[in-house]
Amino acid sequence: MTPQRRYCKVDMNQTLYEELKALVGVEGPRLEALDEVCQPMIRHWCEAMQDANPLYTDQEYARSSKYGSTIAPPTMLLSWSMEPLWPPRKAPSGSLDQAIDRLDKAGFNQVIIAGSTQKYFKPLFPGDRVTFTYRVDDISPERQTALGKGYFVTTTFTYSNQKGELVGTQTLTMLKYHAGS
Amino acid sequence: MVWKTLCWEDVKEGQELPLVTRDITTTTVISCAIASLDFILLHHDREYAQQAGLKDIIVNTPTIYGFAGKYLTDWAGPEAELKEISLRLMMPCFPGDTMKMTGKATRKYIDTGQHLVDIEFTFAVPLGQNCTGKGTLALPTKESS
Repeated sequence: MTPQRRYCKVDMNQTLYEELKALVGVEGPRLEALDEVCQPMIRHWCEAMQDANPLYTDQEYARSSKYGSTIAPPTMLLSWSMEPLWPPRKAPSGSLDQAIDRLDKAGFNQVIIAGSTQKYFKPLFPGDRVTFTYRVDDISPERQTALGKGYFVTTTFTYSNQKGELVGTQTLTMLKYHAGS
Repeated sequence: MVWKTLCWEDVKEGQELPLVTRDITTTTVISCAIASLDFILLHHDREYAQQAGLKDIIVNTPTIYGFAGKYLTDWAGPEAELKEISLRLMMPCFPGDTMKMTGKATRKYIDTGQHLVDIEFTFAVPLGQNCTGKGTLALPTKESS
C-alpha cells in the first residue's frame, strides 16, 4: 500500500467516525411495544428459560403476593422492543438505525454484544402497554479487536408503562466489526 | 410446593450460591431465542452460523438474562426483587455445551430504604467463561416478612 493510499483510508475513516459521533445523544422516536404485556408471552418465556418463579405464572400464588397479580420476568425487558419479522415497522429511522446502516455500508457488517446492563424500576403486569425510546450513548473510534477492526456502539433503551412511569433501562454495548480485518 | 424467600439478615457477604448446570441443546437455543422474539439467524440457522465462522448456532443475550434472573431468584426466592443485572459477554455457548453457573454474594447494603445484596456470578462453558455478571436484589427483612 502506498503512503498516499494509506492517507486516503485514514481520511475516510475519520469522516466515518465524525458522521457517527454526530448521532451520539440524539434521542430516537418513542415507539409502542407491538403487544401488551400478556400471560401467554410470559408463560412462553418461562417455559423456554425453565423459570418456575410462581410470581410469573401461578395466578393463585401471585394474587396473594404483594403485587396482587402475576408480573412479567424483569429480564424480558428487551423482548418488548424487538423488531417484528413481518410486517416491517413503519417507524421513522432513529440514530441507532442510522449508525448501524452507516457501519454496515462501510463494511463493518458483523455484530456481537460485548456488554449489557438492565435496570428495573417498576414491575410490568399483564395488560400494561410498554413504550420505549432509545439513544446512542457513545461510539468508539475504530478499534482493533480479536474479531477484526470495529466500532463499539453503546445504546440505552428506556422503557415506560402506559402511566408514563419508568419501568427499566437496557444499555447494550455492541461491537460492529469487519470479520478478520 | 412451598416457596421461601431469603431474608436480608440471613445473607452473608462472601456466601456462595449453589452450582447450577444447564445442558444446552439446539432446542434450548432456538426456543429461548424465539421466546425473546429474537429472529437473528445466528440463533437458529446452523448453516449461517457456520458461514460466519462459528461451529454452530449460539445462545443469544436475552437468554443469558433469562438464565441469570432465574439463577438469582431460584436462590433468593420469588419475593426477592431484581434491581439490576449487568453482563460482560465473552465466549459463545453452543448446543451440546453444559453451562455451569456459580455466584457469590459480594456486598450487603441499604440504599434509599431498600435492603440490597450484590451477587457476582460466572456462567462457564467448555470454551471458557460465557459471561461474568453482577446482579442486585432487594430482599425482605425479618421485620417486613
